[in-house]
Amino acid sequence: MTDTNDKSRIKAAVQRRKKAVYTPVVPDVQLGFVHNNVDCIGCRACEIACKDKNGLPPGPRFRRVQYVEGGTYPNVYAYKVNVSCNHCAEPACLPTCPTGAIWKRKDNGIVDIDSTLCIGCRRCEAACPYGAPQFIPEQNIVSKCNLCVDEIEAGRKPYCVMACMMRVLDVGPIDLLRENKYPTKAIGPNDEPVKAVRNFANPDLTDPSIVFVAHSKGKVQP
Amino acid sequence: MSPIDNLELLESRLRLSRRSFLKSTAAGAAALGSGALIRSQDAKAFAYEPYSRDDQLHTVVTSCAHNCGSRHMLVAHKLGDVIVRLSTDDGRYQLDGAYGKDTEAEPQLRGCLRGRSYRQRLYSPERLLYPMGRVGKRGEGKFKRISWDEALDYVAGKMIELKDKYGPTALLDQSYAGASYGVLHKSDQIEGLLARFLGMFSCRTSSWSVPSYQGTTTSSRWTFGTTEDGNEDDTFAHTKLMIMWGWNPAYTFHGGNTFYYMRMAKQRGCKFVLIDPQYTDSASAYDAWWIPIRPNTDAAMMAGMAHYIFTNNLHDQAFIDRFCMGMDAGTMPAWAANTPNGRENFKDYILGSYDGQPKTPEWAAAICGVAADDIKKLADLYARTKPAALKASWAPGRNAYGEQYNRMAAALQAMTGNIGVLGGCAEGVGKAWHAEAVAYPYDQYSNIWFASIKSDRWAHCVLNYPNVKREEVGLWQREDELDGVIPNIKGIFWQGSDWFNQLTNINKEIEAINKLELVVCMDSTITPSGLYADVLLPVATHFERHDVALPWYKGHYYIHRPKVIEPMGDSKTDLQIFTELAYRLGHRTGMGDRFGRTYNPKADRSYWDNPDPVDEAYLREWWETKVMPHQHVDMPWEDFKRHGVYKFKFDKPHVAFREQIEEGKPFQTPSGKIEILSSQLAQISDWTRTMYGYHVPSIPKWIEPWESLNSPKTEEYPFHLISPHPRWRTHSIFNNCSWLRETYEQEVTVNASDARRLSIRTGDSVEIWNGRGRVVVPVYVTERCMPGVLVLHEGAWLDLDDQGVDRSGNPDMLTLDEPSPAGAFAYNTVLCNMKKTNLRHRPGWDKLATARSHVFRRDL
Repeated sequence: MTDTNDKSRIKAAVQRRKKAVYTPVVPDVQLGFVHNNVDCIGCRACEIACKDKNGLPPGPRFRRVQYVEGGTYPNVYAYKVNVSCNHCAEPACLPTCPTGAIWKRKDNGIVDIDSTLCIGCRRCEAACPYGAPQFIPEQNIVSKCNLCVDEIEAGRKPYCVMACMMRVLDVGPIDLLRENKYPTKAIGPNDEPVKAVRNFANPDLTDPSIVFVAHSKGKVQP
Repeated sequence: MSPIDNLELLESRLRLSRRSFLKSTAAGAAALGSGALIRSQDAKAFAYEPYSRDDQLHTVVTSCAHNCGSRHMLVAHKLGDVIVRLSTDDGRYQLDGAYGKDTEAEPQLRGCLRGRSYRQRLYSPERLLYPMGRVGKRGEGKFKRISWDEALDYVAGKMIELKDKYGPTALLDQSYAGASYGVLHKSDQIEGLLARFLGMFSCRTSSWSVPSYQGTTTSSRWTFGTTEDGNEDDTFAHTKLMIMWGWNPAYTFHGGNTFYYMRMAKQRGCKFVLIDPQYTDSASAYDAWWIPIRPNTDAAMMAGMAHYIFTNNLHDQAFIDRFCMGMDAGTMPAWAANTPNGRENFKDYILGSYDGQPKTPEWAAAICGVAADDIKKLADLYARTKPAALKASWAPGRNAYGEQYNRMAAALQAMTGNIGVLGGCAEGVGKAWHAEAVAYPYDQYSNIWFASIKSDRWAHCVLNYPNVKREEVGLWQREDELDGVIPNIKGIFWQGSDWFNQLTNINKEIEAINKLELVVCMDSTITPSGLYADVLLPVATHFERHDVALPWYKGHYYIHRPKVIEPMGDSKTDLQIFTELAYRLGHRTGMGDRFGRTYNPKADRSYWDNPDPVDEAYLREWWETKVMPHQHVDMPWEDFKRHGVYKFKFDKPHVAFREQIEEGKPFQTPSGKIEILSSQLAQISDWTRTMYGYHVPSIPKWIEPWESLNSPKTEEYPFHLISPHPRWRTHSIFNNCSWLRETYEQEVTVNASDARRLSIRTGDSVEIWNGRGRVVVPVYVTERCMPGVLVLHEGAWLDLDDQGVDRSGNPDMLTLDEPSPAGAFAYNTVLCNMKKTNLRHRPGWDKLATARSHVFRRDL
């Protein structure tokens, strides 16, 4: 529950936030996602696994599989762009938080919200270019993907990744993923990971920790 | 462990280097060896509400249990008697398992979105927790809570009354596979617990045609003599060309890991083709060449392909000569010339020798709407690529003369020699690995019936009795005096079945059900069918009873299903209910305990209160006398229970008919050949005395369906409606889960040019109607659907307004209850019209849910 009575906690959190705004946290290892836009069947098992794990009511969706389709009958195409929180190197949400509830973890780069500090002002929701923060009306707080930090700490992968029936969603150190040096089933033998795809905000904004395997119609010029 | 250590652990696992892989394997085995996967860990600073990590919860391996076409692992994480969350297979649980283990031979059995949402079904407001007796009119939804004593005495009394008054056909068995595909607590259309119960009571009318795939089943039996004509799912990784004919595994998840193995095939260079009125997610994920086709015209296109292959000499004549009967003049048996129905061979039919019409690609193009050049190109590709898999799915068979489509597909598979080879495909029904499926008592009482009809003809039979001809209801022939006797149906049992919502032409069913004197619904949740029942009996879900799951359709494994939580409310298992009813019926009919004892031989009457030791005894016996000796399993029962899963490893991938092709073993048909000419059909002259009722050609033929985009009825009803399986429900199960409703909407898919013409945009509500009914749904406008075709997914929970319009958008308000001769349901043979409407769509009972939730909510 939101507890704002403890003024010293808020003070400390706000200070932490101020520091992180001007000197972004550089994590020991930045974890990030990889999603194969082409091979994904769009089944949304990852979404449901996430909702079940986080006990979410209908409405807020920490993970969102976006369906993209185009062309004219009968020459059509379709692909999926699957995004939760991108645990950005320079998260746009973090500076907006008045209570310092949003923080970036030093050990693994996870951008997290301390629910006990969140007052539900929804500024982070407005700032995020990817729609990651999700307002939960029943609790009057904003919450979002924390990369299942409890599972990460236990040496396992997050629920969404472990739910993927096609093995097209994975997690790993983002620098290795970007260089395609990380062994993952999400990237096929003939695939190249890219930082940007159509229907995804410009990654230069926040340096998000995610790479994609792009559909031929979803490629953007670097 | 410090966070850094943990990160290193993750690192090592994510990298899966040989060394760390071995290390984690050992760790996994050790965790299992100690008998617990639960590792307690000190709570760390974790800035959330009280939150139990997985390792602080109790972990139980179980599975999903519905009739979707696959079966995957679910892992329950419990606190006390409450399931806090579900996860799925992560490689740890199997023999020699380790976290992350996911090999081609033993892939993880990851649950789909439906299974993952199971807590919502388990703890839903629609959950049935107490026996209920109807107090309002049928369909009105007014019930009061009654005791089990009242409920069972009422049902037993009525059963005896109906049997005495109307005879041995008075009770209609409409059990279906919706409740459990387990080995013990089995709801099944033909040989499940209900069948045995009603059969032993000597009052049962059976329903023989399977809604999903009867056209395919009949076709596979005629052609191959079996429905086990499928290769295992891992064989799909070895094909070079995959033709998905009306098949959308991205929605159905058919088979354990079929869709995943197909991704491997794609990475290995396999080309994909989709023949479907819709550009499905399967097409996009596998980057398929999409060939849109008019619904119901598949057999014509296949005939065009066969013509191209024959006339260009691309067929495998050696294969045909050796393995096929009736493919051409050379493979016709001598006896066929003297049969009433078997004088034609397939090749001469295709070449037009009999009717003067060669079935050329140009001829086919005019019927199916696919350009002749595309038909030729595909035929060429299929005939020249080896091995190639023509996967003829069930959906195009759910049509008028749907069996002809499946028969035609088998002919193509045979003429190209793609049967019995790795990477080829002979299905069909496609059941592959044979599981030991039965732990319940299975004996001479298992399938007793006194009449058996086509499943979608019950309403017709009830409404027109006794003026019904046997061919109208597809009456199965008998060898005794009951042959030809039309059943006098006066009561229905639903077990694991929402058939009222799922069979064709619902308005006719509504009319018929009011003529019945007893309707019993056994289910875990209230369903649209349940609203028409007299008595609702609350059935424990598979989370609340002990069982073992077997794969459905494909995959080779068993998953243990322990009683994860205690049964909620007053719910009982099906087996408990039938056992107790058997005792009550026995006592009322002078049999004493004999009926109950025979029905459930391992139990006495205390089974009602304490089923666990008996269920354990059945399952252990099944494992030790069937699985272990027959399937060469050496894992003891206790170990299996501890692991929760047993995955089989094969020396080589299982390919249907491999022995027939490689070793010359005969096929299971009367001739021992692949019967393109069916010996059974060839002999028939009086069709009314068969369960088919009407003439069926003995070779695959194109037969004009009674409704299609080519028929004159399109002047009044210009759209062809198809109703495929949705991804967000298993038929009607899970329709009440809000997580799933949020991911997809019940909507009708319309081509953009059609929508423009009617000034309809995405999100508008439309009314779709024909002479049989009316429904209201929102529209999804897309370029991915063929013009003239509407797509509305089956299984939405019926929600009628006072005008009889279904506001939920259930397509079975519009379907026709006229089955194909072979028994195929004509779900996809529907013409209709569409217009914009002001009527409001009601997704999933939103308007009614409040009142019902008060009635059905669990007492806390």
